Amino acid sequence: MKIGFVSPYAWDVPGGVQAHIRDLAHYYQNQGHAVSVLAPATDEGLITESFVVPAGRPVAIPYNGAVARVLFGPVAASRVRQWIATEEFDILHLHEPAIPSLSLLACSIAEGPMVGTFHVAAPRQKVAFAIAPLLEPVIEKLRARIAVSEVARETLRIHLDTDAVVIPNGIGANFFADAKPNPDWRKPRTIGFIGRFSEPRKGLGVLLEALPNIARIFPDVKVLIAGPGEGIEAMQSVNPALRNKLQFLGRINDDEKASFLKSLDLYVAPNTGGESFGIILAEAMAAGVPIVASNIPAFRHLLEEGKYGSLFENEDASSLAEAIIDLFKHDDKREGLSESGLERAQRFDWSQVSDEIMNVFMHARAPEEKVKLNSETRSWTRIFSREDEMT
Amino acid sequence: MTFTWFWIPLVVLLFIWYLTFSANRLDRLHHRAETSWANLDAILQRRAALAIDIAHLPAVDPATNLLLTAAAHQARDADIRDRNEAETGLTQALLILRAEVEIVEAFPQIFSELDSLTERLRVAIALHVEAVNAARGRREKLIYRMFRLAGHAPLPVKYAFEDDSLLEPQR
Repeated sequence: MKIGFVSPYAWDVPGGVQAHIRDLAHYYQNQGHAVSVLAPATDEGLITESFVVPAGRPVAIPYNGAVARVLFGPVAASRVRQWIATEEFDILHLHEPAIPSLSLLACSIAEGPMVGTFHVAAPRQKVAFAIAPLLEPVIEKLRARIAVSEVARETLRIHLDTDAVVIPNGIGANFFADAKPNPDWRKPRTIGFIGRFSEPRKGLGVLLEALPNIARIFPDVKVLIAGPGEGIEAMQSVNPALRNKLQFLGRINDDEKASFLKSLDLYVAPNTGGESFGIILAEAMAAGVPIVASNIPAFRHLLEEGKYGSLFENEDASSLAEAIIDLFKHDDKREGLSESGLERAQRFDWSQVSDEIMNVFMHARAPEEKVKLNSETRSWTRIFSREDEMT
Repeated sequence: MTFTWFWIPLVVLLFIWYLTFSANRLDRLHHRAETSWANLDAILQRRAALAIDIAHLPAVDPATNLLLTAAAHQARDADIRDRNEAETGLTQALLILRAEVEIVEAFPQIFSELDSLTERLRVAIALHVEAVNAARGRREKLIYRMFRLAGHAPLPVKYAFEDDSLLEPQR
């Protein structure tokens, strides 16, 4: 089968959506499918995958509490048109088609079997309601919609009044299970945190606030913090006597992340909101680390109300300290969570997730059907190309 | 005066454009519902075929065999009016057998195939129901009824068997 993916965000900037497309495309390619990814790129030289087709330089806009690098406009539209016209895909997989970027363009330009995956979970937004009527005729062209979580599905239902099939994000479960711990990080009572910790919604502040209570009972506790940002600023709020318990590792790559998780006694996810899925929790489970997480909806779903990880009251540092102390005191509880987490992580492995997505692809198309340009676009292209011939 | 003569054709043109745009949308939604029904139908046919295979397993007693085979044939041959009853009947028959732990454990392969087919059926139904709702919702809009934009296209339908209990995720 020939599958086309469209990424709304710049390919050479790290991000969850891009990672999802990359892994899925690799997986299908290894299964013998032909894949092509159309994505914005800030620097085309940084693209290493042969199946990625750069669509132009993105512009940075603030979106959902972060900066999103998106691409639209007539030049991008003509790239999309060209890509669709020449490749003759059996299915087009559009990511985040409700965001003003390349996927939305592709959705409005193409006709035929298309599937959209919605990643983001956004609170009720006036802007989203305002543009929904404009999006509706475009989004309804999708033969099937996939939401990566119940929270993302709910967002879709509220803003666009349409339902979706829930298929979780995928991970390479074995990649994390087989990673080697790093002896520098592998110390007793080590708690780990990954994320852009300067963003308040990642919740590092809650963890730091809980630290004194934990250190009172377990003086040998250590906190490893990975992710881009200035560690010195984050430390300002911490009692100087406790600062030696923190270690900032900076940005880490995928291999380092796997051995990081493998080295921990506990993984803490104190995020205060804005999460749709929580892929890091799936990865931590795959590495066999017990998890303590805030009880925001995405995490409650992922951990099945505490079955696969200990949940604490969101933004409540003393509740977090209690949860961590409880797990440090009871080795059997930690082992139990680690074992059930390992099992649960298989549910998120690409081997299962990619099959589920492929199943949706099959449902989205009639036999022998191909993705084409829509008729309106075709007539415009015809007019323009005729002009080209004349000049 | 000339001013109005200029505007009237423009508004008429715009309105015609809007009508074709709307008709296009509806046409696409009809097509979507047809595709999703074709896919759903294909999976139901496979389920019926699988049910016959299960009925002929050596461990299945003659009575159940007869029940299941009859239900499967009914589901396969049912015309559109009897389809609902036939598919529900097959679901019931399969549910009865699925509850027989010994048989299920004796033939793990065929039953895991049934489970994965059931899972796919669940997705196919969700997509079909969604497509039907979208098409019907659009047809109800005033402008579509006023200008009969649906033409002679039949109204997409849902079946009651799409709420089947077999289709609850079994995990």
